[in-house]
Amino acid sequence: MNSTLMKTALGLAAVSLLLVPGTLLAKDAKPKVLKPCMQCHTDDTENDIRGRLGSVSMKAETLKVDTGGGSWLVNFDDETILTGAEALNKIESGKEVLVTYRQEDGLLIADSVDVKPPAELDPALLIKLEELAPLVAMGPEKGEFTIVDARPGKLFIEGHIPGAISIYDAQFDKNLDKLPKNKDNLLVFYCGGPT
Amino acid sequence: MGYTNIKVFHDGLPAWKKAKQPLHSVSKSLKNMMDTETPVVLIDVRDADSAKAAHIKGAISIPGDALAAAKDRFPAIKKAPIVLYGADTEAAQQYFSTVRDWGYMNTSVLIGGFNGWQKADLPVASGDTPTEIVYVPKPKAGAVDIAAFSDAASNKLTDVVVLDVRTDDETEAGKIAGAITIPAEEVIERLDEIPKDKQVFIHCSTGIRAEMAYLTLTEKGYQAKFLDANITVADNGTYEISEKE
Repeated sequence: MNSTLMKTALGLAAVSLLLVPGTLLAKDAKPKVLKPCMQCHTDDTENDIRGRLGSVSMKAETLKVDTGGGSWLVNFDDETILTGAEALNKIESGKEVLVTYRQEDGLLIADSVDVKPPAELDPALLIKLEELAPLVAMGPEKGEFTIVDARPGKLFIEGHIPGAISIYDAQFDKNLDKLPKNKDNLLVFYCGGPT
Repeated sequence: MGYTNIKVFHDGLPAWKKAKQPLHSVSKSLKNMMDTETPVVLIDVRDADSAKAAHIKGAISIPGDALAAAKDRFPAIKKAPIVLYGADTEAAQQYFSTVRDWGYMNTSVLIGGFNGWQKADLPVASGDTPTEIVYVPKPKAGAVDIAAFSDAASNKLTDVVVLDVRTDDETEAGKIAGAITIPAEEVIERLDEIPKDKQVFIHCSTGIRAEMAYLTLTEKGYQAKFLDANITVADNGTYEISEKE
């Protein structure tokens, strides 16, 4: 399933590349979409910026969005539509946001800011901290489980749940051999929080 | 794929860390931090003699049984990455909670400990380690040194101009003598008021707007830096800078 998605994504990317005029490409060296977001979001329009909220100044009515390769400054006003948060200065720094903007006199002005809602999961799939912590304390071998850290490897090495193995979600298909042989044992996945 | 018992720990690492549960880090990360000169507090919890014989380069020796008494030596900044290591993973594990309970959310235990590090042929040193824990966070890209900013603010630097990007209301209540005042959101429209042949040191009140103006000016080809600190300016132009937590 993942590889089909990937092919579709590549196809779409190729089409949108053709649509973007060459001059724009050269000028816009900084990415408008943060890399991990590209895994799912492939139908963004030219006026979308998808990244992590860097900072917000209510006084200057400006927000900063970081997209990995650079930062975008977008102005906002009373008419900016906000979804997923009470107020712009209540959004946690680093949260994934989608900013749809228009350009006026060289300025970017936000028409809307959408805070990424947490993915909805079947409650039967969830494991809570209270259940996980004692297992981790026991260790994967004795507890007969495998725990997979799905974040990028760079984050894994900085700090992870003891006993976890690292399989970055974007490279999951290439790393199937790291999964346990016994398919009936508990297999737990985690990442950097409900996103 | 045939797995019958899959669960998702949806609350993820933030919830894990908040609950002060243990974290492990990998020697590769510590090596990266050394190579990139990223500040880290590295504590050797083995006994003093072992540490003196050989320790990980940059470590500070605080034997595990003396750790609890060393609380005051730890940095004021709770975000500081703290790596604890013993002879192996297990040996440092019991000290994790001591440090984590002091509020250091980025504490981790080094997998493999000193033995693993040495086996991987990574940099070690011998002799007494420093006793003082020094942690100075890496400045943000474009941040100006506070001392340099102060020199510019007292007009000691002829090739630097200070740009105050607070609102008109704020600057009317007091501004640094000689500073250009342009509210952050107007910088892009008022570029011609900023000299291009000088360095521009930007400040606001907390560093947020100053960083935004810094990004704008840098993109437009200016030589700019910004003050990433809290600053208040009195009506007579005197100012006070305090570092951010």
